[in-house]
Amino acid sequence: MQFVRAIVRPEKKDEVLENLSSGGFNAATVVDVVGRGKQKGIRMGDIYYDEIPKTLILVAIEDADTDKIVDIILRTAKTGTDGNFGDGKIFISPVEEAYTISKGTKGL
Amino acid sequence: MKEIMAIVRMKRTGATKRALIEAGVAGFTAFKVTGRGKLLDHSEINVPCKEKLMGMAASDVIDRKESEEQVVTFLDDKRMFPRRMFTILAYDEDVPRIIEAIIKANRTERGAGDGKIFVTPVNNAVRVRTGESGDAAIW
Repeated sequence: MQFVRAIVRPEKKDEVLENLSSGGFNAATVVDVVGRGKQKGIRMGDIYYDEIPKTLILVAIEDADTDKIVDIILRTAKTGTDGNFGDGKIFISPVEEAYTISKGTKGL
Repeated sequence: MKEIMAIVRMKRTGATKRALIEAGVAGFTAFKVTGRGKLLDHSEINVPCKEKLMGMAASDVIDRKESEEQVVTFLDDKRMFPRRMFTILAYDEDVPRIIEAIIKANRTERGAGDGKIFVTPVNNAVRVRTGESGDAAIW
């Protein structure tokens, strides 16, 4: 099992969730976060904005689905044809066990 | 060293905290999150829930169809529901005990929507106060 953490633009959140749902990944957790990237935030004149609001989407999936879900997020969260700074990042980390509380059973 | 991520109902936050202390774990981090689960196709859960929600609708509603529509969109499972996410750092051997405690504190008669627990490996942890790392930094 893998954990996919995707940081995307808040305005792209609904579109990403919609596409994940139609791609068969309905389950997701969403957190509002702030952060900056390699570009050290945005500079407007003398002011630096380095706490830029983003949305963190967490999805737990089976190993085999990793490429599919990454592809959906990459396609949806990108802005313009070439993409822009600030479109976000995707991280994938391993999950050893998962439990469903209502049934008390193991697995997704 | 493991990290346990548990997504639970907002109303069960207190019960979960108590259960964690009883299980011998005091430290945790919690956030407010929103999320959704699998699309529900269990009619044995959906139908009684729908009836209950319809019963709660205002009695002077003229257009019954409209409130029915609202109930259906509420249950179609594409909307995001508020939940609390706990992350707990634990020794490997404590993990089953903690998971059992969380499951016991969070199961409800409603079933669907009680949450999920994930266990992920952690390579290292550092206590900022003393600088000690590894297992000594957990608690």
